[in-house]
Amino acid sequence: MTLSDLEKKRYLRQFTVRGWDQEKLKSAKVLIMGLGGLGSASAFYLTAAGVGKLRLCDGDRVERSDLNRQILYFEESVGKFKVEEAKKRLTSLNPHVEIETVKEFIDSQNADELTGGCDLIVDGLDNIESRFMLNKQSVKMQIPYVYGAVQGWEGIVGLFHPPRTACLACILRQDVQGADIISIPGVLPGTIGILQATEVIKFIMGVEQNLVNRLLIYDSRNLTFDIVETEKNPNCPYCGV
Amino acid sequence: MVIYLKAGSELRHRLKPDIDYYTRRIKTDAGKTIKEVLIDLGINPALVAFVYTEGKVKSLDFIPSSGQSITLQPPVSGG
Repeated sequence: MTLSDLEKKRYLRQFTVRGWDQEKLKSAKVLIMGLGGLGSASAFYLTAAGVGKLRLCDGDRVERSDLNRQILYFEESVGKFKVEEAKKRLTSLNPHVEIETVKEFIDSQNADELTGGCDLIVDGLDNIESRFMLNKQSVKMQIPYVYGAVQGWEGIVGLFHPPRTACLACILRQDVQGADIISIPGVLPGTIGILQATEVIKFIMGVEQNLVNRLLIYDSRNLTFDIVETEKNPNCPYCGV
Repeated sequence: MVIYLKAGSELRHRLKPDIDYYTRRIKTDAGKTIKEVLIDLGINPALVAFVYTEGKVKSLDFIPSSGQSITLQPPVSGG
């Protein structure tokens, strides 16, 4: 896939990064499932970086309480569909990226359609149940899944590529009790969303030092980044044999 | 034996750290799983997504050894 002169100018500062492959980025199609705080940040940077195609999925409309962290939306976005507002901003940022929008949440009926044809899945979701559904699709379709989640001062990033690696369900128990109301400082999903975008770019370009079989746990209050190793669970209900 | 449990976020308040902001020193019986230790402490294991120690994720069936430091990871589910 060749780049136009305009694209070459736009991505000039990236070309000089060792191992950078802009054409690989341009030929990739990435699904961003959920366009909240995480999805806004990752979509913004993946668009700026020049990923060829993005599929944005979210059935929600923008609420005023989203504006502390969901950077694709502004005061005038309140009440409008997130995917439409996101597409408007992202196209304005980089018209060379092809953006497809789907005003739906993932469920068992539409999961195949939403994930089909994508090279990577980015997790921008806001609840554990939907994440397990996305993980199930990642296992079923063997699509790499860049997990991200935030709560309080903490965030987690991981990269699952089953069956080669552990999947989300190998690590997270399904019977955990999440909080009813999730408190999030506005900056935190920005940090985690950008780390997810970084992992996407590295994976597409074949950078081996990535978060496969590892989780990055960020404690923004204590300013620590822990990296912990994960292992496939042979009894995993999703990817176990 | 003594082990050290660490927790941040919502779990920190339930763990009641006594060494530093995150850490509590626990006296427990050798051979008990982390899940059993949590139950002894009155912490519902369903509030812990996984634990990690020495750079590796472990399940709640993990049996700690004396002096080991284990971090309790609460569910992180927002976006």
